[in-house]
This record gives sequence, C-alpha cells and structure tokens, in this order.
Amino acid sequence: MGKIKPLLAVLALGLLAYPLLPFANEYLLHVVILVMIYMVLAMGLNIVPGFCGLLDLGFVGFYGIGAYTAGLLTVHYGVSFWLIVPLAALNGALWGVLLGAPTLRLTGDYFAIVTFGFSELVVLFLTNEIWLTRGPLGLPGIDPVNVNLEFLHPDWFWEFVGEAPYFYLALFMVLAVYFVLRRVEDSRLGRAWFAIREDPLAAASCGVDILTYKVIAFAISAGIGAVGGAFFARWQLFLSPDMFKFWESFLVLCMVVLGGLGNIHGALIGAVIMVCLGEVLREALFVAGLPPEVRFLFYGLIMVLIMRFKPAGFFPAIAATARGNPLLAALAERIEKTYGERRETHS
Amino acid sequence: MKFGWCKAVLLACVVALMSVPAHAKTVKIACASAFSGPAAAYGDNVKAGVTLKVEEINAAGGVGGAQVEVLWMDSLCDPKESNTVAAKIARDEEIVGVVGHLCSSAHLAALPTYLRAGVPAITPTATNVAISDQNKDRKGLVWSFRDVYRDDFQGKFLARYAKEVLGVAKVAVFYENNDYGIGLKDAFVGEAKRLGLDVVGEEAYVKGTPDFTPQLTKLKASAPDGIFLSGYYNEGALIASQAKKIGLDVLKFGADGFDNMDYIKLAGDASEGTYITTPFLASEAGPEAQKFLADFKARYNRDVDYMSANAYDAAGILLQAIEKAGADRAKIREYLAGMNTPEKGYHGVSGLTYFDEHGDAQKPAFVKVVKNGEMVPAQQLK
Amino acid sequence: MLEQLLPQLVNGLTLGVIYALIAVGYTMVYGVIELINFAHGEVYMFGAFLCVTFITAVGMPFYLAIVAAMGCCALIGMFLDLVAYKPLRKAPRLAALITAIGMSIFLQNLAMVIWGSRPLPFVQSAVPAYLNETALSFSGVYLTWLQLFIFAVTTAMMLGLMFIITRTRIGTAMRALAQNKTAAALMGINVNFVIAFTFALGSAMGAVAGILVSVYYNSLYPTMGYVAGVKAFAAAVLGGIGSVPGAMLGGIVLGVAEALGAGYVSSLYRDGVAYAVMIAVIIFRPSGLLGKAVIDKA
Repeated sequence: MGKIKPLLAVLALGLLAYPLLPFANEYLLHVVILVMIYMVLAMGLNIVPGFCGLLDLGFVGFYGIGAYTAGLLTVHYGVSFWLIVPLAALNGALWGVLLGAPTLRLTGDYFAIVTFGFSELVVLFLTNEIWLTRGPLGLPGIDPVNVNLEFLHPDWFWEFVGEAPYFYLALFMVLAVYFVLRRVEDSRLGRAWFAIREDPLAAASCGVDILTYKVIAFAISAGIGAVGGAFFARWQLFLSPDMFKFWESFLVLCMVVLGGLGNIHGALIGAVIMVCLGEVLREALFVAGLPPEVRFLFYGLIMVLIMRFKPAGFFPAIAATARGNPLLAALAERIEKTYGERRETHS
Repeated sequence: MKFGWCKAVLLACVVALMSVPAHAKTVKIACASAFSGPAAAYGDNVKAGVTLKVEEINAAGGVGGAQVEVLWMDSLCDPKESNTVAAKIARDEEIVGVVGHLCSSAHLAALPTYLRAGVPAITPTATNVAISDQNKDRKGLVWSFRDVYRDDFQGKFLARYAKEVLGVAKVAVFYENNDYGIGLKDAFVGEAKRLGLDVVGEEAYVKGTPDFTPQLTKLKASAPDGIFLSGYYNEGALIASQAKKIGLDVLKFGADGFDNMDYIKLAGDASEGTYITTPFLASEAGPEAQKFLADFKARYNRDVDYMSANAYDAAGILLQAIEKAGADRAKIREYLAGMNTPEKGYHGVSGLTYFDEHGDAQKPAFVKVVKNGEMVPAQQLK
Repeated sequence: MLEQLLPQLVNGLTLGVIYALIAVGYTMVYGVIELINFAHGEVYMFGAFLCVTFITAVGMPFYLAIVAAMGCCALIGMFLDLVAYKPLRKAPRLAALITAIGMSIFLQNLAMVIWGSRPLPFVQSAVPAYLNETALSFSGVYLTWLQLFIFAVTTAMMLGLMFIITRTRIGTAMRALAQNKTAAALMGINVNFVIAFTFALGSAMGAVAGILVSVYYNSLYPTMGYVAGVKAFAAAVLGGIGSVPGAMLGGIVLGVAEALGAGYVSSLYRDGVAYAVMIAVIIFRPSGLLGKAVIDKA
C-alpha cells in the first residue's frame, strides 16, 4: 500500500485538474456530472431499502419535487442556487414526512406500490398543472448556477459556463452527502436503522421507536433526492415531467442493488455502472457496426448478467455482519447443510 | 482498496468514451432521434427519410467530393438523454450539423448545449412554440431551425378549416397530454372561440394506455358535430376505432401527426372521413417529389409519412448548406439563417422551405381526407 | 351526468377485467416465490406478437395460433426462470427484482428488433367475425361479443386457477412451497419443478391476455407490456398480492376508478384517481383487499 498511495494521490490530482485543461472533453465531463448526480440519488435511495429494508419505488417523486422547486424558484423569483438547495431539501423532506407518516407502517410490497403511486401522482401533478409548471411544454430558460458577491464588489459576479464548474460543484455535493451519510451510518440513528432492517421485533423490544426512525430515514432520503433534483435543474437548464417518469426510480434502484444494497460505496459504483453502461454501449455498438436500436437489448442483458454473477452486488451489504461472526457463520453453514436452502428472513 | 473497482470502471469508461475512430474524406452529420423506447416508431420514420436522402447524395458523389456519414444518436425522446447526446455531438468537432431532435421537449433540453457550443440543428418534427424563443445564443444568433409547422399555426388553420369548409358548429377536442397535443389544442381552441365555434368538450389522454373509452364516453355526452384529435396516428387509430365502437360517429380531423398510412392500417373502416393537414399533397407534387414517393415505397414497402418527408428535406437542407458554405458549423448556420426569403428557400419534397427570423419554416398547409382506405386531397381552404 | 354512469361502469369493467387478466399471472408467481416478475408484461406482449406471427407466417387458424402462442410463452416463462431467477434463489430478494427488470428491458428490445417498433394491427381476417359484432346494446352501452368473451375467459381462468391451486396435487405443492420452501423440499416436493410449472402456467395466461387485448384494441407494439404490466402489478397488490380472486377484484377496482375518474373528475387525472384510490385502500387495508395479513418481516 505504501508505494501505491502517492501514485493514487497523483492520479486523483490529475483527475481533479482534468476539467481545467484546455483539451478537456466536455462530453466526458457531462457524463461524469450525470454520474455524480445519480451517485447522490443512489446514496439517498439507499437509506430506505438498504438501511431500513423497505422497498421504495417512488424515489423519483422527490427528485422531481426538488428539481421543480429549484426550477420554479429560479424562473419566477430568480432565487440564488445557494438558497435553493436547502429550500429544495426541506420541501423534499416535508413530502417525505407527509407520505411516510401514514404509509411506513405498511410492509413489503404494499409499501412499494404506495410509493410508486405517489411518484406517479407527482408526475401527473407536474404534467397537468400547466399554470404552475408549464406541464409537458417543459420549463425552459432556467438560469445556470452563479456566485453573486456583488455586495462586496460590483464586479464579483460569476456565472457557471460549460461543464467544468459544475463538475466541481457536483463533486462537492457527492462528497458532502457521502460524509454526512458515513457519519449517520455510524451514529445512533444508523444503528437504529440497521436494527430495524435486521429484526424489527427485536429492535422494538430494545426500545427503538420503529415508525419514528423509519420516517426520519424516509425524510432524509427524500431530502437528498430533492438536492439531486435541484442541482439537476440548474445544470440541465430545462425541465420536463418526462424526466421524472417511473423508469428513473427503477434506474436508481438498480444502481443501489447492483452496487450492493445497504452499502454507500455500492451506491456509488452502481451509479457509475448504470450511467456509463448506456454511454459505453452507444460507442461500442457504433464501433461494432451494430444499429442504435439494439442498445437497450445489451443494456438489459448486461444487467441480468451482473446480477447473475454478483447477486449481492459489488459491495455486499454490511448486513452480513451476523455472518461475519465466525461462530454464527459456522452455525449457519451447518443449518444449511442439514436443511438444504437457507430461508431468507429479511428482504 | 475498496475504491479499486470504481477506478477501474471509471478508467474503462474514459478510455471507451475517448476512442472515437477517425475517418478520412467524409463529412459527418448527426441524426438525433428515438431509436428505442416508446417513441421508436417515430424515430424509425425519421431514420428512413434521412437514410434515403444521404444515400442519394452519396450515390451522386457526396457533398463537395466527400461522402456523407450519418451518426445515429438514440436520444429516446427523453430530455435528459438528449442533453447527453447533444454534449456528445457538440464535442465531436467533425460533426457539422444535426438533424433532430424528435420531440420538442428533447429538442428544448438539447438547445442550451447546442447554443453554447455552436452546433446548427434542423428538426423535422419538433413543433413546440417555445423553441422559437429558446434557439438564440447570447449574440442573438439562431442555431436551431425547423422545417415543420409550429403548433399554433396548424391549430389555427384547423379551426378555420373546421368552420369554413367542414361547417361544424359544436366541436370537441381530444388531445394527447404532451407538448404537441397541448400546443395544437390551445391554438385550436383559441381560434375556434374567436370564430364563434362552440367548443363543447376538451379531454386529454396519455400515450401508453390503449383504452380511451372513458374520455370518449364523456365527449359523446356533449354531442359534438366534429372532434379534433390532437395527437399522433398510433393513438389516433385506437381512438377512431373505439369512438366508432361506442357510437360516437362524428366528423374527425387531425393535424400532421395523423399523416401516416399506419393510421388507416390500424383503424380500418373507422378512419374513413378523417381530415388531416399535411405540408404537401402527393398527387400535386412535382416530379422530384413523385420520384421520392416511389423510391420510398420501393425501399421501405410503405407509404411516405410527413415525418419521413420532413426528415428527408431536413437532411437535404443541411447537406445543401454544407455544400454551399463548407463543412464549418458557423458558416452552415449563417447559410441557413440566410434562407429567409422564398427565393432563397429550399425546394424539397414537402414544398418550399425558408426560415423566418426565429428559424421557423414558412410552409403552406393542405388538407387530405381518408377515402376508401386512401388519403386523397380534400377541398382546400381559400 | 348520470346517463354517463352506466357506460362508464362498463368501460371500467372491461378495462379492469383486462388488468385482472394480466394481474392473475403476476400474483400466481408472487404467491409461490415472492418474486415481482416484472418481465410478465413482456411475456404478455410476446404472446400477442407470436400469435400474429403464427397466423401470418405459418398460416394457423386463430384458435390454434392462440394455443401455440400459449405453449411458446409457457416455454419462455420456464426459460426466464431457468436463466434469470433460478440462480438467484438464495440471493437477496431485490437481486431477483433487478434481474426481472433487466429481463423486461431485454425482451422488450428483442421484440423491437424482431418485429420492428411500429404498431401492427391484429390480423383481422383471421379473427372470427362474430367477435366484433355487437352482442348487447342498451341505454348507451355497446358490448361486443369479444368483450363478453374476455369477461368469460378471465372468469374461467380465475376459477381454473383456483381449482388447480386448491384441488390438485401440484396446487398443494405450490401452496406448500409458498409457506416454506425448505420444509416443502423435505416433504419430497420437487421445488424447481413446481416453480417452473408456476412460471409456465402464469406465462401461458399472460399470452392469452396479450392476444385478447391486442384483438380487442386491434393493435400490438413492443412497449405494450410495460404500461399494462405496471398497472396489473398495481392491481395485484391492491387486491392483496398472492391472492388470485384478489387480483381480479383489484383489477376491476382499478379499472372502474380509472373510468369514473376520467368521466367525473378530470381526464387529466385519470390514472391519478386510480392511484389515489389504490393508496387510500392500502392505507386502510394494509394487506390489500383480499390478502392475508402478512407478518412483518420488513
């Protein structure tokens, strides 16, 4: 390790400086920024199924709420991005609480379908309330992010142009969410979530207020989704309800599971794989002389293959804590040997 | 070493994305459209038109001696995907122009990137009015053009046609809840009310669900004489046959979204008597257009639709610009912006195309009607 | 307003029965292995396309083509299980869900490559003519024979399934498996065979649904399975996932809510009304309309 570390540091610095170089590839940066947005979304979603063990199919609803909060505040009131981010996060979290409080008592797939219904209602609202969102006509003309320090000096006003500044902003966002979640994971809150996921009954009998902790998880997840949305709005500069269809929820869920459910690093790698796969295939098909129509054929196939050979994702969850204990692992092995298939006790 | 994986994958992506193969003595254009997903059928129409044009040009020696290569970019009719595709196109300096995008929302999402990088684009299908305001860069230069009607033009035209030629008094609107459907509906309803038509019902549908009977039942209760179907032929065909099933047998008319023989194929008898606007009439078109119609039929074994015809012309306009102005993005834009009078316009199969100061095509509209399973010219508006 | 009520109810019922037809296949697979088989919508779409292909390319008569398509879809279902789900039996449940989504994308695009992306009309010449004739018409309601046929097939399928599940040996095995896979295996039940059979049966029913729906709407296209699949899944959960009569009831509630929503609330919120009803029902009946209360396994 000792010799590799400086090398890695140089490599990391090189990657960090890359966007500033004159020959930087804007398309590559665009894809990387997209990856980073999905990293934030995947880390946000990961809290609910990964930490609390609830299948959430409505994550895109909060992403959409965040994006439109940002878009509308920018277009109508010209609110600064730096103020919009906390507002969007709060709005997302508020909806998370509103949806979560009555529905988090539900179990398994009933919860999944309710969240799905919610995200569809959000999209319908965005589509139909034309007076507010312009509906399917889309919301064009959103201003890019700017840094306004005019109150200090009249010339101190910078607007983001091109991909490079967004790259650093997105990187900052990913790091911030990452470190916050790492801290939370190790806190009382995180432990309570894991307890709920592993065995709700035991958790409850140890004095964990299950519903409250689930609502907190859902609200934080929703808030992070909304932050991702706010960034997305000010980066894409155009919003349309089509961007928040059900498929996006699936996509983010795939990232979380593919990477390794319940593991923050898994969410990160999942985002890289799922976004890059589409782009790499675009190029690969062209080089291989295949028509663009078959891109998603391979996309689906590769997804199936990854799950086939990495059923627990790239970073298996720490859920395996119990199995990490040598005594328990030996016991589990003996049970499995004796009784055939091990019965899944949690989803 | 937990991050080893991430880095490896990231590096693989970097390498893959950068390895764009180079070709000599070709000129590259991109066609950004939907080749998979729910809108793939429309993307297929566009692809057919562009392919035909490019093959013709290449067979005749190419543009200024260079063969034309089209890069097909699947943007799925999805705004986010479109923006990524736009970044890819903008980055590849060899791509001098774009035919696309397919959907207005996709086109609007791609525009900021095109404006920043300076990429000229001609869309054969995006009709949303908002594009006219969003296609200028900071210097006020137009980078996006379209050889297709704006929604407001067609909507108003159909309202006048309904009143003056079809003579309906009570009219209902059944629109697809997307940019195209709403844009047309708003223009139609506004003009219809101005002309004194009674708009008795407005109902919406979404793409994907094949059942429209609840809305049709509601519209039937308002007893219209005519119904304006503001959407595309795929759903339009289902609507027409379901309307017939529930006994709503009134005059139907639609915009260019219906101009596709699949409408008749899918709706069968129920399509009879549907009035459709179109940028050109096959029977009255010139010899060049007749040749196109025949070539298209021979190649794809189906009749030309407006998307294919517009795409054929969009590719034609772009290639003419490349030939006259050279393979340079800024010069091509300048040339396209200069096509601002009928004399400087492009004589394509879909009629004469020239652009106004917003990059919008000025085209006349004609009306066809479905009769005995064929689309034949109807009485035209004076 | 009121004169619309009856026709709207009929519209909703037709729609609901169609959802139910697809939902039954979902709920059966779910009942046995607790897998949300998202690729079921794609099997439904393949059923329709295969039937048309058998009629046009092979020249089979209509009913024979239905049977052939059912057989092919049963094979597709078993194949899906074999390559996609069987290797993941021991993996976390969500892994199988992601595989199902991947398979769904794969099959949808495969159909697009094979049959093209433009919608096809059903071969009307092959369909018995009486099916499209009006069977009943009263006070603004028009029912074709085909609609009655769809009602009849759905009911028959539901009853047949319930018979298989409750009265036959394999049905008993399916129920045993649903309760405890390990215990069932210890009782001498061939787990993999029973699961394969479940997939085959569910997929054959999906094929019937796809064919009837594409005849009814006279249109088939590669993305038809996705939307229908999502709605049917919602119907299956609403009715209480795993319960066959529940799927039927859930489908009908969803369909009627949609029709009445479009008729009386706003066509813009047609799906919205259906989903709102669904959410409300689930909040008040946390295990669906006819589902058994589930133990919180979270």
